[in-house]
Amino acid sequence: MTIKLTTPAAVAAALAAMLAPAAAAAADYAQAPGSTLAFASRYDGELFTGRFGDFDTKLSFDPARPEAGRLDVSIGLASADTGNADRDSTLKTADFFDIARFARARYSASGFRRLADGRYAADGTLELRGVSRPVTLTFEWKDGAQPVLDGKAVVKRLDFGVGSGDWADTGAIPDEVNISTRVVLKAL
Amino acid sequence: MSLKNTAERWGGISQLLHWTIAVLILAIGAIGLAMGELPRSPKYFWVYTMHKSLGLTVLALVVVRIGWRLYAGAPRPVPGTPRWQASIASLTHGAIYLLILAMPLSGWLYDSASGLRPLRWFGLAEVPKISAPDEAMAGAAHGAHEWLFWVLMALVAGHAGAALYHHFFQRDATLARMLPRGWISVPPREDAP
Repeated sequence: MTIKLTTPAAVAAALAAMLAPAAAAAADYAQAPGSTLAFASRYDGELFTGRFGDFDTKLSFDPARPEAGRLDVSIGLASADTGNADRDSTLKTADFFDIARFARARYSASGFRRLADGRYAADGTLELRGVSRPVTLTFEWKDGAQPVLDGKAVVKRLDFGVGSGDWADTGAIPDEVNISTRVVLKAL
Repeated sequence: MSLKNTAERWGGISQLLHWTIAVLILAIGAIGLAMGELPRSPKYFWVYTMHKSLGLTVLALVVVRIGWRLYAGAPRPVPGTPRWQASIASLTHGAIYLLILAMPLSGWLYDSASGLRPLRWFGLAEVPKISAPDEAMAGAAHGAHEWLFWVLMALVAGHAGAALYHHFFQRDATLARMLPRGWISVPPREDAP
């Protein structure tokens, strides 16, 4: 690249041209290895946790301008692993995720809020099992070479028909499922 | 009926334990084989709870039975039994005792390591977990539970077959002495005087 820096205006223009894409790139992230997306629930009071091995995050975020942030997460429901093959295969059935019809869930949010304690909140939409409902993700942002988004959300499973039919009894499985995620990010 | 065992007969307590455990094991085995075919739904979880509760009951009864046998002893082999037959019978009995302990224990371990739901004995009392959730452990325990069941069934078939052989062919008291006096009579030997 040859730029003739003959006038202050040309220097300024050249600097602006070099910095602008860098500034934009600093706010766009993709998911890096080491990220986790987990959920926790109970059966008859017995705690169990699971992970989605297959999920993909795209984030646009500048801590100084959270209202401009955007988040898009795609989750492969067949990858749910709760450490028990019987339970995992049940989760794939029509009573739960119904992966034959709805292989992926999607969470998208645009415009985050800064919370009083320094965390952020994304009032997004979860599309799961053919149903779209608002779900708020609160997260902590850890800056660094590979920034980390540490987030939590509560999803009401029955809003989405997850665990329907014989499994709808909230005495056995509570309606509220706790979600936690730790997304390691790399700048694009 | 004498409660204690004598050199000739099993007493009432040993008989009661023997037959109660035998009937329970056959029922639990039948439930166990059938329940795998049930649709996986909370509607049918009571069947699993029944299988597990009965199994834990057997575990407790087997412990009592072994304790009672150590205390009350066992009848001698019926007169005329060849030494090799008596040895095989003793080995079989020992193996069956081990297996009827191992069956409920492996099932309990499988249940605990699966970590699917709490286990309440007949819905009444919470049963402690003997393992944290552990998929590999659950798989191993389940495999053992299945294999040991078939080994147990083979031994039980041999054990029952031997008892019937003694009763109908040897015409001795082997079977009759594990039943209340008078329930079955020892058929007279054809070569008896």
